[in-house]
Amino acid sequence: MKRRLIIISNLLIMGFILFIIVSYANIKAVESNRNEIAAFEKMTMTTNQIIANYLEDEQHLCDIWADYINSSAEEGDMMTAKEAISFVRKAKISPEIEGHLIFLDNPERAGVSTTARVSDPNDDAISYKNINIFDNIEGTGDPNEAVNLTRAYTNPMNGVQSIAFYHDVTVFDQETDGPREALLMRVVPLSSLEQKFVFLKGEYENVEISLVDKEGNYVVHGKSFKNSNFFEYFKSYNAATSEEYEHVIREIAGGTGTMTIKNYKGEDCVLYYTPLETMTTWFLLAYIPAKDLVASRSIDWLLLGIASFGFLLLLIFNSIVMMNYNRELSEAAQQANQANEAKSYFLSTMSHDIRTPMNAILGLNEMVLRDSRDDNIRMYSESIRSAGSTLLGIINDILDFSKIEAGKMEIINVDYSVASLLNDLVNMVQKKAEDKGLSLDLNIDRDIPMTLNGDEIRIKQIIINVLSNAVKYTQQGTVTFSVHARKLPDKPDSVMLGVSVADTGIGIKAEDLDRLFVAFERIEEKKNRNIEGTGLGMAITQKFLDMMGSHLTVESEYGKGSVFSFELEQKVVKWEPIGDFEEAFRRSLSERMDYREKFTAPEARVLVVDDTPVNLTVFVNLLKRTGLKIDTAESGDEGIALFSREHYDVIFLDHMMPGKDGIETLREMKTLTDTPNTGTPIICLTANAISGMREMYTKAGFDDYLTKPIDAERLEMMLLQYLPGDKVTLVADADGDDTDEDALPDLLYHLEEIDPGAGLSYCGDGESYMDALMIYLGGAEKKADEIEKYWAAGDIKNTTVKVHALKSSSRSIGALKLGEFAARLEEAGNSGDQETLEKELGELLARYRQLARDLAPLNEQEE
Amino acid sequence: MKKKLKTLLSLSMAAALLLQGCGSTKNADAPFAPKYDKETEFSLTVAGNYSNFESLEAEFERFYEYYPNASLQYVTMDDYNNVISSALINSEPPDIFTTSSAMIGNEKYDDMFEACEVLSDPSLDIDYSCIRDSLIRTTDSGDVVMLPIFTTSYGMLVNMDIFEKEGLKVPGNFKELVSVCGKLKNAGYASPMMGTDRFSGSGLFNCFVYPMFAYNVIKNSDQVDALNAFEPSSGELMRPALERLYEFVNSDCIDLAKCQEEITDEYDSVIMRFFEGDVPMMLAAGDVVSGTAKRESKSDAFSAHPFKYRFYTAPAGDDGGYFINSISICFSVNKHSRDIDMANEFMRFLISRKELSNMAGLKRLITPVDDFSADEVYSALAEIPADRRFSDKETGLMDPAVRQFRAAIYAVGNGTMTVDEAVAAYGTIPEE
Repeated sequence: MKRRLIIISNLLIMGFILFIIVSYANIKAVESNRNEIAAFEKMTMTTNQIIANYLEDEQHLCDIWADYINSSAEEGDMMTAKEAISFVRKAKISPEIEGHLIFLDNPERAGVSTTARVSDPNDDAISYKNINIFDNIEGTGDPNEAVNLTRAYTNPMNGVQSIAFYHDVTVFDQETDGPREALLMRVVPLSSLEQKFVFLKGEYENVEISLVDKEGNYVVHGKSFKNSNFFEYFKSYNAATSEEYEHVIREIAGGTGTMTIKNYKGEDCVLYYTPLETMTTWFLLAYIPAKDLVASRSIDWLLLGIASFGFLLLLIFNSIVMMNYNRELSEAAQQANQANEAKSYFLSTMSHDIRTPMNAILGLNEMVLRDSRDDNIRMYSESIRSAGSTLLGIINDILDFSKIEAGKMEIINVDYSVASLLNDLVNMVQKKAEDKGLSLDLNIDRDIPMTLNGDEIRIKQIIINVLSNAVKYTQQGTVTFSVHARKLPDKPDSVMLGVSVADTGIGIKAEDLDRLFVAFERIEEKKNRNIEGTGLGMAITQKFLDMMGSHLTVESEYGKGSVFSFELEQKVVKWEPIGDFEEAFRRSLSERMDYREKFTAPEARVLVVDDTPVNLTVFVNLLKRTGLKIDTAESGDEGIALFSREHYDVIFLDHMMPGKDGIETLREMKTLTDTPNTGTPIICLTANAISGMREMYTKAGFDDYLTKPIDAERLEMMLLQYLPGDKVTLVADADGDDTDEDALPDLLYHLEEIDPGAGLSYCGDGESYMDALMIYLGGAEKKADEIEKYWAAGDIKNTTVKVHALKSSSRSIGALKLGEFAARLEEAGNSGDQETLEKELGELLARYRQLARDLAPLNEQEE
Repeated sequence: MKKKLKTLLSLSMAAALLLQGCGSTKNADAPFAPKYDKETEFSLTVAGNYSNFESLEAEFERFYEYYPNASLQYVTMDDYNNVISSALINSEPPDIFTTSSAMIGNEKYDDMFEACEVLSDPSLDIDYSCIRDSLIRTTDSGDVVMLPIFTTSYGMLVNMDIFEKEGLKVPGNFKELVSVCGKLKNAGYASPMMGTDRFSGSGLFNCFVYPMFAYNVIKNSDQVDALNAFEPSSGELMRPALERLYEFVNSDCIDLAKCQEEITDEYDSVIMRFFEGDVPMMLAAGDVVSGTAKRESKSDAFSAHPFKYRFYTAPAGDDGGYFINSISICFSVNKHSRDIDMANEFMRFLISRKELSNMAGLKRLITPVDDFSADEVYSALAEIPADRRFSDKETGLMDPAVRQFRAAIYAVGNGTMTVDEAVAAYGTIPEE
């Protein structure tokens, strides 16, 4: 497109320059034409003068003849016609010129010629009866004319086309014996007149001179003039209205000038017209093809041709250079594409490779969070969860940018705890702020609903980006994080969450504000070179907000600080206000600690296929409390075997597996007809979190996909969506429900020896704990007897082994003190300290038996 | 001299037949191939009595395509018939000149014919086989010294649109003519046929009935000499034609008074009246038809309501019309031409089916070649049966005899003589 534009621009510029040249050439050509025409007119005028001189000379000679004849008459010595002709015969020098003496009053217009008839040398009688040339000159010559001339006619004596100059003479008529008026004619061959045109012919090769009379009849005409009359000729070959035709007649028969006419070939011709000098009845027409007068234009065309050729060369040169550049650009683009593909591959690989272990880390951590009752462990675990989430966020940041670039970013709304969200945010920023000596002030609206529905991850990303930036670009002072919620009058299920981050940092110049949201652009790069950042944060932030129907507003004063704020409409899941943020956070934490499954579905059966055993373990454990029957397979083939044999309500297939991958496995499953799983939804498990994922998996035939690390809540939500409703029992709200700890018999809480929490911690859950207690209780008496027996037999070694067992079993049921006592005696036994054993073994066994007795009621409860 | 020419004429037909063999060996349709160097520079003058000869000038242009350095000029000569003989031997003689069939037999033109190049000379390579045989004239020695360029005839211009509008067919014989004219008159055409009431060959009586008379003369060729000799008894040969003329002028076909009033000359007026568009049939000679093309644009009526028209023979006979073909002009080459080779070369170029048809088409005269398709106006002539087609020369009538017949029809047509009177007065009928 760009290339085409450049070529078009080049052509336009060329066209413009050529237009200028052509226009200039045309102006010069018109000027040149004008000059040519002027020169042509001048030459024609010269010819006119030559002709006029010739005609005058001829007329003068005719006049001399006539004057001599007339003077003879005046002197009384009147000549007869014969005598007069005889005189003329002697007087004329040129043999081609004849003298005719005609009596116009004779009906035959007869007379005498100086030259005998060609066909009869003895006959000099002449008659003009059939030659109509005297109509306008009856009787006399026109005194107003310097030249009295006939039209061209055929000399009746010799058949030569001629013209005749005439003058009245008086001769003696023998018949009447008196004077008689006659017309003396000097008859000149037309060719003599035509020879005068040669002068002009020398200058212009194709010029044609014609002489016409007032009616347009040719006296002489060039070969290009057809017809016998110029006006008829004009009418035949020129499309003219009657007015134009009349105008041409008036012009030619009345003045001097130049006009352009078409010749019989339709070519433009220049016609110069002027009356013959000394005559008013004849007009000179000088005709020349217009192209003969514009020959000089060829110089302009040459110039134009050279210029055009030059431009063409320039265009070709430019094109070659451009093609060269384009080739380089094309290669660069190809390399860029390859790099891009490599990037995509890298992102895909990174996504998979990082997310796969992250799945294990976060999944197992989730198990720890669920199962651990130790506050410290839970706190560490919570930190792992938080940091893991942040790490995932960073990975997502990069991956999501590729999604944004491809326009395939998805907003995934989930229910989230506002307090947890805020806590995560504060946790992540607090330390950084403290490290820089900044004060992080919180201004959290107490009335914000506790649980909202929205894209928690994106919102967190947005706020983290803004908060991180505030901390990054503030050297001293305060960063104030404010969150408010206001109800929307027309949307009772939603609130407008207002978030703002104000800092006392370096601020942003007004002219830099627009660059703030450009990817990879960093404002005042040089000044902020020590501040880490990819330049992606604000761009992603703004894009996310766009997608959520919001936008980031920035108010900044350079050197004083900035305020970033936005508003986000969120659906409300729980209207309960978060209240005091710290308190709400603790409660949120507690809620997480008190995880409870969303549903149970003991009748439902699920197949999960993943080549990584730990992932299978995580998957199974995450769903343990739902009671689902979960079959696992570590390869595609194994999965297919189960698929063809057993019925499943939902199947999860990992994408990236050695051997048959998820997609190949899916295809094979789909080809199977004899299977109880026709129509069973198959969901892809994938660590690939790059753009276009949904399209790819849907196209491949999956019903849905779930990204790893598997989010427990999303997993449950997805199962709720796909499991048959009749197999699912939703778990009621956890408030007021029994917990595992509450399920333990009260007895345990009243025994000094027992720490139920420690017992549960060791056993994992209440059931296991109770099992462990029952085993402990059931074997207590027997084991105590065995210890006594070995001690009595002096078998210190076995006594020590049994004490060790007592230590472990006591600890496992939460009888920590008893366990410690047993440990001390075990150590004594190992060191051969019989004295200690002798002194304290009895007490140990007494406390052991007492504990067994104290726990005895459990047997009854169990029964 | 007269006798000599008579012999010449009587032999001409036979000679023409012999000559045809000469021409038929060549292909008149073959494209013209210049005989000389194309760069040859030369000038030729064609002299004639036409004041205007655009069709010839068009041929000059076509000839220039073969000889671009040629320069040809047409010159109109005053008092042509009297000066042509002198012109041929003067200091600036024309190279080619027009001649007419009327010049044959007139001793005045002996010198002129003496100056003519023999165009039948095989070395000249002029192939005139495309020209209708009957139009070839020869000297008594069998030489062809003139070749016809245009021919003419007598007949009528027919307004085809009127016939189409009235749903009528152009009449093919006298009976149909009377019938059609009756219908036309009823349809409001005051004079279904018109023409100029003149003594000349273009006169309406001559156009209507002369071909019929000429046909009758050919059929009674034994009486030709008597007719030429003005023997009174031979006047009887005019009777059928005169009676048909009498019948015609007294029918609904023509309103003579209207013709006399509205058609004031024998050329312009005939054409312009026909272009008014209300005359179904206008009796006219081919020479008049040749003026139609140029006058179409000059007629306001025709420009406003143009119509299609054709030339037909006048349906004077019971079996149909007669196509009498007369030579309009011929071209001869001056053997004293200063560039005789190129003059013959131009003739060699011109005498071909293509060029002669082109010329005739432009001039709107009847082509001398045996193909009428070139000009739609004359296309109807092709339908005339061969036995009713003939040339004026075949009649053997001399000009004086023709003029007597013309005087007879002028008198009978205008009612100044009866048929019997005219027949009886043959040889002494007053001419105009």
